[in-house]
Amino acid sequence: MFRMVLALVRKEFYQVRRDPVMLRIIFLMPIIQLLLLGYAINTDVKNIRTAVYDYDRSDLSREFMRSLGAGGYFVTRPSDIPLLAGERGFRENRQDVMLVIPPGFSRDLKERQSVTAGFLVDGTNASSAAVAMGYANLISAEFNRELYRLSLPVTLRQKVLYNPEAESVYFMVPAIVAILLTMVTVMLMSMAIVREREIGTLEQLLVTPITKPALLLGKAIPFSLIGLVEFSIALVFGVIWFGIPFAGSWTLLYLLAFIFLFTTLGVGIFISTITKTQQQAMFFAWFFSIFAILTSGFFIPIQNMPQSIQYLTYLNPVRYFLTVIRGIMMKGVGLEALYPNIIAMIVFSVGIFTFAWLRFAKRTK
Amino acid sequence: MNKIRFIAGKELRHILRDPRSLFVAILLPIIMTLLYGYAVTLDIKEIKLAVCDYDCSRESRDLVARFYHSGYFVKAGATDDLLDPESVLESGKANLVLTIPPGFAVALKTWRPCDLGLMIDGADANLAAAASNYSNAILQSFLKEYLPPGTELPGVTLSQQVLYNPDLKSSHFFVPGLIAIILMMISALLTSITIAREKETGTMEQLLTAPVTPRQIIIGKVLPYVGLALLDGLLVLLFAVFHFGVPFTGSFMLLLFFGVIYVVAALSLGVLISTLVSTQQVAIMAALTVTVLPSVMLSGFIFEIRNMPVVLQYISYLVPARYFLLIIRGVMLKGSGIGVLWIEAVFLVGLAVAMLTIAAKRFKLKLE
Repeated sequence: MFRMVLALVRKEFYQVRRDPVMLRIIFLMPIIQLLLLGYAINTDVKNIRTAVYDYDRSDLSREFMRSLGAGGYFVTRPSDIPLLAGERGFRENRQDVMLVIPPGFSRDLKERQSVTAGFLVDGTNASSAAVAMGYANLISAEFNRELYRLSLPVTLRQKVLYNPEAESVYFMVPAIVAILLTMVTVMLMSMAIVREREIGTLEQLLVTPITKPALLLGKAIPFSLIGLVEFSIALVFGVIWFGIPFAGSWTLLYLLAFIFLFTTLGVGIFISTITKTQQQAMFFAWFFSIFAILTSGFFIPIQNMPQSIQYLTYLNPVRYFLTVIRGIMMKGVGLEALYPNIIAMIVFSVGIFTFAWLRFAKRTK
Repeated sequence: MNKIRFIAGKELRHILRDPRSLFVAILLPIIMTLLYGYAVTLDIKEIKLAVCDYDCSRESRDLVARFYHSGYFVKAGATDDLLDPESVLESGKANLVLTIPPGFAVALKTWRPCDLGLMIDGADANLAAAASNYSNAILQSFLKEYLPPGTELPGVTLSQQVLYNPDLKSSHFFVPGLIAIILMMISALLTSITIAREKETGTMEQLLTAPVTPRQIIIGKVLPYVGLALLDGLLVLLFAVFHFGVPFTGSFMLLLFFGVIYVVAALSLGVLISTLVSTQQVAIMAALTVTVLPSVMLSGFIFEIRNMPVVLQYISYLVPARYFLLIIRGVMLKGSGIGVLWIEAVFLVGLAVAMLTIAAKRFKLKLE
């Protein structure tokens, strides 16, 4: 049994090694993904392009613009389009916000009256529009307070835990690592088995004295290893390159990744039993990955989803692994805080793998 | 022309003979649309707030009520040990803990300084930023009403107005963008895999010995996928307009025209990949890395290009989805015409032509 599995594993590795493009992709993919995601994912709303129509042209109006631009949230520049045609700037995608400062701005302010300035936002991107409006309100409140030396008695003393700089990268990299492991193993596993069927070598394998468990193991081991290698590359790269703090236990993380692998391999095997060509397998694997990624809380917090979809996320094994990996890496929590998620992971692993195994055994009878 | 039709017919039969794949090819875009339309909202709602009120005054209760009535915060689940806010956050029962110190009401009446404590779980950076913003805004409006009698706050107020999407619906942003992603996915993934399949199963040689030129093979194989991709795009578009109520203010013909150009660019990319690889497994990995991933990440689909590092911003110029995204959002939401979108159009056409040329050249070289 052991020798059979070993032979199959070796065969699979020969195949991978024979294909230089494959090798390169295996090593480059995690790094490219991490770089792309690590740097591109930036949901901070910054550099909001603000076209200003300043009809006051006073020190105070310039001061207001300066404080608007101070935090890096808004970039103000005078508009070169006439006010009445100002909407064109939105359509040409040259501005996100139009600020209109009325004449008499400084006069009214000096007389301690209230002044209304126009603030038009491009609502195409709903969430950043909302954030931009929030920032603008805060900044103008701050401007008023400074102007009249008002001191408000109550202030908020804020403290952000676990991730003091609130950097998105710290939140994203653990998730990317988990997603990578999922996608690579599901896709490779399903396609590898279907490949034998498609080019007709599965029959050949089945008539050899290789038993079915040995056949599955021979397929599963190389792809688990590839998955774990990608997982490690991404993890180490994330820690070294992005300086992600690793608060928890490496052993626990790898142990849980190992458990999680049974889920993804199980899904891969299952897909291979319902498909005939690699194209089909790819499609189903892709289908599963999209669903798993979107409902895992990867970049959209689950609590923001509608209730019905929140229930749906409980069916997504990646969700639990994501919670676990973020918990271990960022908060350094251990078994005592994570056990409900770990139990869920084990249940999914055992359930899916057994189910897939039974189907595979039936299909290849 | 006839030869192309035969090859296209063969490829079409391949697609139709396989109802399961076809089913997925049509169902996948719909599921993605539903998920993006409903599940993917970057607006933060329902932040779990736990309050630790040491003051227990009318004022402190009023402030707490304002937090809960703002629509952003909900009461955190059973939190027994509020004395230790950190452990509350660690258990995940609350996203933030507000601590109101004793003497809050007195400080408010006498207008004396007083600090409220706000401890935020920073694990989700978005949520943390939003929680901090909302809290500050609520506190501001609360304080305005507790000003000493006879004073009022002078100064600037902003009259805010939202254009194009007055209800600030995320689906209006995501769903049109999704069309760009789905067109890219279907076109690039499927073409790269379909040519790799002929190589892997050894039927490419057979095709080549037939009296057809490589160019005819490529065009014939690619044509059915143009149809499939456009069908999917149309499907999502219908969903967007009729199910999610995304406005369609511009010209449909203009969008279709650019859609075809975009699909050609995507297909060329798929063909290019397939000339570089020999198995379907590698084709799919390569296609994912060079087409789907950049289209999702670097196109402005979710994340603003201008907030990325400069290097990535330059790379994004090579991503066709970037231009199509601006075009589709412009046409649908803002009613932009060619007068406004011509720059994007020029770039898109340029990219499509460049990719098509490279793909055609590589394909010939490879086969001779």
